[in-house]
Amino acid sequence: MKTRTCLRVNGTQYEVPPSFSGRRLLDYLRSALGLVGTKEGCGEGDCGACTVLVDGTPMCSCLLLTGVLDGREVTTIEGLPEAFLSQFAAICTEYGAVQCGYCTPGIAVMAAWLRDGGNDMNDEPVSKLFEGNLCRCTGYQQLIEALTALS
Amino acid sequence: MVWASQHGEPQQWAWTGGIDEWRLVDISDKQVRIGAAVTLAQAVRFRELRSLISAVIDGAAVVGSVQLRNQATLVGNVCTASPGGDTLPGLYVHDAMVEVVNAAGSRRSVKISEFLCAPGKTNLAPGELVTGLTLCGLAPHEGSTFHRFTQRNALDLAIASVAARVRFESDGQTVAQASLALGAVGPTVLDVADAAALLVGHALEPSRLRQCAALAAESCRPITDHRASQDYRRQLVQTLTMDVVAAAAARARGSIAMTL
Ligand code: FES
Ligand code: FES
Repeated sequence: MKTRTCLRVNGTQYEVPPSFSGRRLLDYLRSALGLVGTKEGCGEGDCGACTVLVDGTPMCSCLLLTGVLDGREVTTIEGLPEAFLSQFAAICTEYGAVQCGYCTPGIAVMAAWLRDGGNDMNDEPVSKLFEGNLCRCTGYQQLIEALTALS
Repeated sequence: MVWASQHGEPQQWAWTGGIDEWRLVDISDKQVRIGAAVTLAQAVRFRELRSLISAVIDGAAVVGSVQLRNQATLVGNVCTASPGGDTLPGLYVHDAMVEVVNAAGSRRSVKISEFLCAPGKTNLAPGELVTGLTLCGLAPHEGSTFHRFTQRNALDLAIASVAARVRFESDGQTVAQASLALGAVGPTVLDVADAAALLVGHALEPSRLRQCAALAAESCRPITDHRASQDYRRQLVQTLTMDVVAAAAARARGSIAMTL
């Protein structure tokens, strides 16, 4: 029976303590690694605030068991390139696409995925690609305009 | 996961997502086998599946969101056994068989209509697992489609949904075979064979289509809840059936054009 889980988070290799292997990736990131940029909104896959990339693919970290991620590479908002984050911040400011900011890390992770060719297979519109990221403040029009400008 | 976060972490768990046999999609002739670890996103991206099991892929493409489809599996959607599960009506019209194995290693195969018993209930016994699904893919002159109606465009559950499968004779006019399945308007998906049978042996004239849709609406058993009333759902079934049969027929004609 396998009990050890090793994974990379933002380029650094970690061994997951046994106490976290049966917990959600979201809890591991926030409580064990102190990477609190990833937010918990709903805890059930509806809001996208907890979005991270697993081997480059966006997933909800509230629905992933940490122990199953042996050998995988996780990228959180903290692992996105500085240059991308400043460009993202500038565009969000310009279009009024941020208010409280709670949904923003999830949206930034999705935007980074999109920029890295995440949408190559299916040419879906931006509004469809961000269907899994809820925002209670800004209104989606500003967000979609900002994200379109970015892509 | 949601249950675990509310009720405390699991004492024991097993990860089945890495079992090679479960990650495969096999296509031989018109038979399609999809392993239990195949995600909805993988199924949607598999081009051959779009033309072989179109109605299932239509459903898989609208479950949840981008993030969820990257994690959720087709078999997971089946085992959730929601009456409104988006892939289920498509699986009915594609005659899905559910492959089950028990702890002793003996296997059985169950028709999807027998596998799904009630909302949230399947006929799995303790100690059994689903390993995959076997589906009957489309033949030449045949098309299938799934449509659903929701209040929001994403992350929403269907108020009603319909899948249709239509095969034409080689004349491209006369319906040789048809099946129809309704979602979210009964305790499980409803196979409305009587309504589909009205189409067989005839051309798809508007009057015939209306008769078929009316019978489908009559046969469904919707409830009233916070999403919609019984009557509203019944009317939706009628409209969706007309649309979905026409769309499946258009796909069948497309496949005729392609095979000529
Ligand atoms: S917290 Fe994970 S989707 Fe809302
Ligand atoms: S800015 Fe507040 S939730 Fe999006």
